[in-house]
Amino acid sequence: MPTSASASASASSTTATGPNSDLLIRLNSPDSQVQLKALRELKNRIIGNRTKKLSFVKLGLVPAVAAILASKAQAHSHSDHDCNLLVQSAAALGSFACGFDAGVRAVLDAGACPNLLLLLSHPDDKVVDAGARSLRMIYQSNLAPKCDFLQDKNMEFLLSLLNSENENVTGLGASIVIHSCETITEKKALCHAGVLKKLVSLLQGSPSQRDNSLESLATIMKDNDEAVSEFVGCESGRALSSVIELTKDRHLRTRFLASRCLIAIRNTSSCYLQDMGIKTKLVHLLLELHDDPGQVGDEAPFAFSSLISQKVDLQKIALEANAIDKLYNHLQKNHLHPKRFQGLLLALADLCSKLESCRSRFLSLQALNLVSEALTHDSSDVRTAACICLRCVSRSIKNLCAGNFMNEMIVPPLVRLLDDPSISVQVAALSAVGNIVVDFTTHRSLFLQCGGVKQLVQLSRSMDSTLRLNALWALRNLMCLADYICKQGIFMELTASSLASLICDPEPFVQEQALALIRNLVDGCMNSVELVFAEDGIILDAVGRQLQSASRDEIWIQGLYVLSNVASGNEVHKEAVMHQLVPQADNGAQSLILKFLQSNESQLRIAAVWTIVNLTFPSTPNAFSRFVKLHNAGIVSQVKSMASDPCLDVKLRVKSALGQFKTFSDGST
Amino acid sequence: MPVRAAETSAPPQHHSGSNCGHTSPPPFTLLSVGQGFSGTQNVSSLQKEEAWRVNVRIQGCDLENGYLCGTMEALNVPMADTPVVTFWEGEIVDTKNYTFFTEKWEATHDDDIRHWTKFPSFSALLSRVEVDGGKSLDLSNYKYIFMRWKEQYFVNVGTDCGLTIAGFYYVCFSCSDGSINGFYYDPNSSPFQKLELKSTNEGRLGFSFSSYELR
Amino acid sequence: MSLFLSSTIDQAYHQLAEIEAELKAAMAGSKKVITREEWEKKLNDVKIKKEDMNKLVMNFLVTEGYVDAAEKFRKESGTEPDIDLATITDRMAVKKAVQCGNVEDAIEKVNDLNPEILDTNPQLFFHLQQQRLIELIRNGKVEEALEFAQEELAPRGEENQSFLEELERTVALLAFEDVSNCPVGELLDISQRLKTASEVNAAILTSQSHEKDPKLPSLLKMLIWAQNQLDEKAHYPRINDLSTARLEDPSV
Repeated sequence: MPTSASASASASSTTATGPNSDLLIRLNSPDSQVQLKALRELKNRIIGNRTKKLSFVKLGLVPAVAAILASKAQAHSHSDHDCNLLVQSAAALGSFACGFDAGVRAVLDAGACPNLLLLLSHPDDKVVDAGARSLRMIYQSNLAPKCDFLQDKNMEFLLSLLNSENENVTGLGASIVIHSCETITEKKALCHAGVLKKLVSLLQGSPSQRDNSLESLATIMKDNDEAVSEFVGCESGRALSSVIELTKDRHLRTRFLASRCLIAIRNTSSCYLQDMGIKTKLVHLLLELHDDPGQVGDEAPFAFSSLISQKVDLQKIALEANAIDKLYNHLQKNHLHPKRFQGLLLALADLCSKLESCRSRFLSLQALNLVSEALTHDSSDVRTAACICLRCVSRSIKNLCAGNFMNEMIVPPLVRLLDDPSISVQVAALSAVGNIVVDFTTHRSLFLQCGGVKQLVQLSRSMDSTLRLNALWALRNLMCLADYICKQGIFMELTASSLASLICDPEPFVQEQALALIRNLVDGCMNSVELVFAEDGIILDAVGRQLQSASRDEIWIQGLYVLSNVASGNEVHKEAVMHQLVPQADNGAQSLILKFLQSNESQLRIAAVWTIVNLTFPSTPNAFSRFVKLHNAGIVSQVKSMASDPCLDVKLRVKSALGQFKTFSDGST
Repeated sequence: MPVRAAETSAPPQHHSGSNCGHTSPPPFTLLSVGQGFSGTQNVSSLQKEEAWRVNVRIQGCDLENGYLCGTMEALNVPMADTPVVTFWEGEIVDTKNYTFFTEKWEATHDDDIRHWTKFPSFSALLSRVEVDGGKSLDLSNYKYIFMRWKEQYFVNVGTDCGLTIAGFYYVCFSCSDGSINGFYYDPNSSPFQKLELKSTNEGRLGFSFSSYELR
Repeated sequence: MSLFLSSTIDQAYHQLAEIEAELKAAMAGSKKVITREEWEKKLNDVKIKKEDMNKLVMNFLVTEGYVDAAEKFRKESGTEPDIDLATITDRMAVKKAVQCGNVEDAIEKVNDLNPEILDTNPQLFFHLQQQRLIELIRNGKVEEALEFAQEELAPRGEENQSFLEELERTVALLAFEDVSNCPVGELLDISQRLKTASEVNAAILTSQSHEKDPKLPSLLKMLIWAQNQLDEKAHYPRINDLSTARLEDPSV
């Protein structure tokens, strides 16, 4: 192999690092010619090179560059040489800040921003360009300071930027809007100050101005119906038409930004963009943008999700446009970027959240295999998205009954996620588990074998109330129509005392799920009723107390069904329910059941009437004595008064109860 | 107050095929999830008199979309070693999601009328149904619920079990006593096989009810 | 559920046969013939504005970087270019530097033009650095090449798998004494320089909000596509030679 001695010598002067401290010395040189040369060299070495940026940040070069900028920006000298120093120092700082948070922080810490802002009013266009570009780089980072638009001087400044002739300066204005505008008050202030109108006029500008304007418009109009109606009315609808037109632009990014702008309009005010043509076009466009290998392709699934989320009409259009197949094809690619992977899973989740036809297409593609793989992905965002996708696809009793989810491919990795270090993964996994355990076949045993019940029970004791709630909800569904062995197993794991304390959880939603769980526990075979009498009946006592103290219909309904189900058991069970519902001694207290019979909520009345039906069920030995107690408590006459209840179900059940009462009155009087 | 987990990612609205406890109450408690029915299906042909014992269990109910589903178990089926279980999905004739006209499954309007009129409770509705399938009727307070049950697949046996699920049932549920009557319709099977079921309470001294919720 | 009584398979076969017959009928049918006279008459009915044609020509000259020609054409036709002609000179200087192998010079020129181009376009930046490495190898500066590959290119390879593969391919050039027999020898071809040059050219045009490809070639491609579509349905006077645009008589 040929070697040459001179090569290494020339290398150190041109390409290789040389002593980096040399660069620092030259930047600090009193000779501004030396400084200029050093700035240019620094700039050319860091552009496109993250490693270099990082090592130069560490060497402390950023403050040195910022110092040159400061001295020249405040000097008001307009000589060619000084202009050149300004351009080069601004460009170097901009490059440090480009796509590199450590660089942005160093530039901000060096106090460069105010001096870069000074460059915007420099007479030399090249200096203005350099300053505006650098500031734009800084404002593209989340680290940049927010601009408070509610202060007049900031708003004036922003408008001056947007009114500039210089493309880089208007671009900076747009970046500041995108970066800083968050609250609805800020959005409204921007509209009142005329920013929206100005942005609309920029739609007619150069391609980069157009893109900036589209992105800022989407930011301002999101969740801001005032801005949307102002925009739609702009130039008698021409602004809206031109954005619609831009969805056909040659530039991929412009098409994408235009579609995001339209989605912001539609999601904010559902009265606009309702015609079939535009909806179909947006769906097709966004699907097509998924093909881009770059940033647009990474962001496209998220935009697509926001387009179709919660909207059945759009989900139907998407299904017809083969969206499920297309997203699935992207999902099949190897080495997906985690962000894109997450987006695709969430988009599929939204597609399958409502329509059975979407779910069946999804399942027919065997897409579940890929979702199951995603459950073990390194990125917690991907794992969460996979769980959400699973939850939406399994939100279908038809597919649950077909046993599509309760299998070796899904359940073991899903159960492992219940133990995930990230709470958001745990919550998402619980939400998928909650649907999947609705299974009326023997497959439920798989979930138990994987240790799923142990995990759920553990999570039901978590400090985090969201975890408690979701774990109980899953246990409640698991308990639904389960056989005795399964119920007993879950109950032993949960224990009566912890169930009793969950009924009295500080969180009402948790109380409701705990009661619904016990309701399911005591349904089915007679033996299961015995379970709530464990530990001296602390569960029933807790239910009784909760019925007294709660204040929400949902809690009363679930609690009352617990008692009603227990009352469908034997004599002992029925007497225990009497004990909870009808006061023993005549202490003047109105019985609970009377209150529920008189409720405005028909679901509560029906549960109450069923309880009466069960307590007075004919041919049980003590039915008559219970009837007498109910009669004395004024309950029988209350039931009689409900013979023409407005709710048909209540009316018919009252009729059954009255039929049962009749057998007692016939015997007694 | 912490928000419900399900609401943070997607607000629980109405979901097809699900039983969302809070948003959509079951039409009748006796027709709600977990309720069981048992009785017979008369499969008599010209050759011989025959009836199967049949058990039905409701597994899902979604009033808003007029949807119901469950399993049907036939016990003494000729040629089968075990009971045959099928999963069915039901359309509730609520005149919003579904009318009395089937419009599919090879059933003409005439077939529909011929079957519905077999239910005595239907006669009061006949004249209106003949006009538009019953679109203009309000059945929300009617004491009977009319449905079509279509079996989707065999749960525990293969398709080679010697039975067909090509047809569907015209069904009438009585809200008063929870009894169910039905007629099986399949142009390729014996006509008017009658299904007669009664609500069961499985050894209990009363009625009990489960519930689940999908998110 | 019910017992089987009859089979419907025969019916299904019958339906399938019907569909097949319909399909066959639809596939047949004969092509239409359009004579030269009819065709020319149709062509004459299409009105194209002279200004549009001029714009098309100007777009081609500007995009391809023919500054002098563009300037002359502007004077002759009065068509205004959609971009400042001075920027074309800068862009051409960059392109030329790459074509001559002065890659470092080209990079500095691009950074002077707009520092964002290479900062936001990692692929282009990598290709320029790769070209620089190729030039070092071409000039026999082995040590310098190795140092450069290590210092500048290796970190890019760590950021991107496909860059790493390309880097390995390029470094492989060093392993061969006689590069003409080297399997990756094509990297040393002049065509590699042209490829890189045109990539830079396109990126600069995009940064100036200008289309990176001239419109004329895509119009010609569309013409070919349209003729191919039409071939399936009709016989008509075709343009076979694009440089003369002569209409050939339909051969039936």
